[in-house]
Amino acid sequence: MAWRKALVLYAIYLAVALAAGGFLIIFSSPLLRFFQPIKGAAGDYRFWLAIAGSVVFWVGLFALMHRLPNPLKRRIITGATFLAGLYYVLEYYLPGHNQVLFFWRPAHGNPFTPLKQSVGYATMVVAGFSFFLAAINLSLVHARNLLRLRSGWYNSLAFFLAFIAMALFGLWSSYAPTARFGGLAVSRWHGYLFQEMYVPLNATMFSVLAFYIATAAFRAFRVRTAEAGFMMTAAFVVMLGQVPVGMWLTSSLPLHGPLSALRVEVMANWLLGVINLAAMRAVLFGVLVGYLAMSLRIWLSLERGAFFEQEL
Amino acid sequence: MEHANTLQLLLTLACVAAILGTIATARKGRQLYVRRIPGLQAIDQAVGRATEMGRPLLFSVGLGGIDVDTLQALSVAQYVGRLAARYGTRMIVPVVEPVLLPVAQELTRDAWKAEGREDAYRPEDVRFLSGEQFAYAAGVIGLMSREQVASTFFFGYFYGEALLLAESGLEVGAVQVAGTPATTQVPFFLVSCDYTVIGDEFYAASAYLTREPTLLGSLIGQDISKALLVAAILVGTLFAIWQGKENLLARLLGG
Repeated sequence: MAWRKALVLYAIYLAVALAAGGFLIIFSSPLLRFFQPIKGAAGDYRFWLAIAGSVVFWVGLFALMHRLPNPLKRRIITGATFLAGLYYVLEYYLPGHNQVLFFWRPAHGNPFTPLKQSVGYATMVVAGFSFFLAAINLSLVHARNLLRLRSGWYNSLAFFLAFIAMALFGLWSSYAPTARFGGLAVSRWHGYLFQEMYVPLNATMFSVLAFYIATAAFRAFRVRTAEAGFMMTAAFVVMLGQVPVGMWLTSSLPLHGPLSALRVEVMANWLLGVINLAAMRAVLFGVLVGYLAMSLRIWLSLERGAFFEQEL
Repeated sequence: MEHANTLQLLLTLACVAAILGTIATARKGRQLYVRRIPGLQAIDQAVGRATEMGRPLLFSVGLGGIDVDTLQALSVAQYVGRLAARYGTRMIVPVVEPVLLPVAQELTRDAWKAEGREDAYRPEDVRFLSGEQFAYAAGVIGLMSREQVASTFFFGYFYGEALLLAESGLEVGAVQVAGTPATTQVPFFLVSCDYTVIGDEFYAASAYLTREPTLLGSLIGQDISKALLVAAILVGTLFAIWQGKENLLARLLGG
């Protein structure tokens, strides 16, 4: 019964999608203009009107969604997910300009492709809202540490100083690039904070990786079993094949012919390009099929578990 | 712009049919067998250890945004969260993407609520650390060291910070369970973690842990899809050996 109900629902969604596709094909150029980002100067009232209009529209829509009963809300979410996913499916699987699908070559290319960038912008806008939430969360956690003088409270103080300084000089240098502070241009202050403090700190963290690789390699190469022995030997050959001294060891062997297979760099390349690559590709096949299965479950609202508990 | 060719469309359709078919079969009540996955089996043990030691556990969902890998990691996080809530253990979830913060908070709150322990829920345990890879890694390392976590879970998509996190977890003596579809990071997790879920086992996690028929059916469908792909590779190889690169099959499928 549930399956029959789901099939009817998807048939409705598909009909809506086909109608939307037809609409897109007929009205693609005016729609494309409508979905293009509006660029305007700070003094242009139409620019601010468009922003205010969008905010009012989305706030109204979310307020309306909150008031709807749960089953209807879920149905709308399922439908929206299906239609959004269908856009990408049609965009990717329908042939583009000068392409053939079986024996079909569309005259005007794929009607969904020109809208791809605008759909991408919409996704970025939604993600942008959440950034504000993250800043609030971070500030709340550190404010609590400071107010209660928990151990390491000075780290929270450092966070606030860094956060305020970076935001202040970043925004200041963007909106008033010629302004000066403490005898220096604000863009220089921003440069000090970013190029001379942030970038080296980031590089320091990355460089720590080298030491961790050494300790991890030490543990990995302890030969306890036959498999570990094989791995150790293979790793030794691969490492030797990457360094001049390794290549020098077998440099007396010919470059061509059956004996060339015994040269260290040839063995190392064979291990990397045949044995290792085959295994990596096999793992990748499994990963990508898993990715496909999960995407399909999310697209058709069949997923269960976190966020997807409720049966539709 | 990138578009699929005929072969890609046919293979995708075959895989989709296999997955949906097995989901339908599973939902009819057919019993399906899933092999034992030690990495996922160890999750309960790792949560139990944190409970016994009276120390928190840490769950990192990697560097991904709201994508398939992170959603899969979050479903494992919800399972771990429910266990932690049941045993009264703190679960710290540091996130790298601002967009993930409300999602992770909602998810952990739901886990605590489902276990009837909403009063013990600590919203500050779900933290946004930084949107930058190594600043996030530094934050997580600091958290592990300060909180002396008893268990760590690394599920999701990881990049160069994988080894930094796993080695630091090892240093604080935590039991570590990791799972990632990032094939380049798997060796680092294998070396530094107690249990590692590799390859498509990562996508099997929610089915394995919940035993939900839809997910189990999908898992069997994945195996059939893999068999189909292997068959396609063999057929393609035979055609290529027989007729060379410009073979009949390649011409029929549009290259």
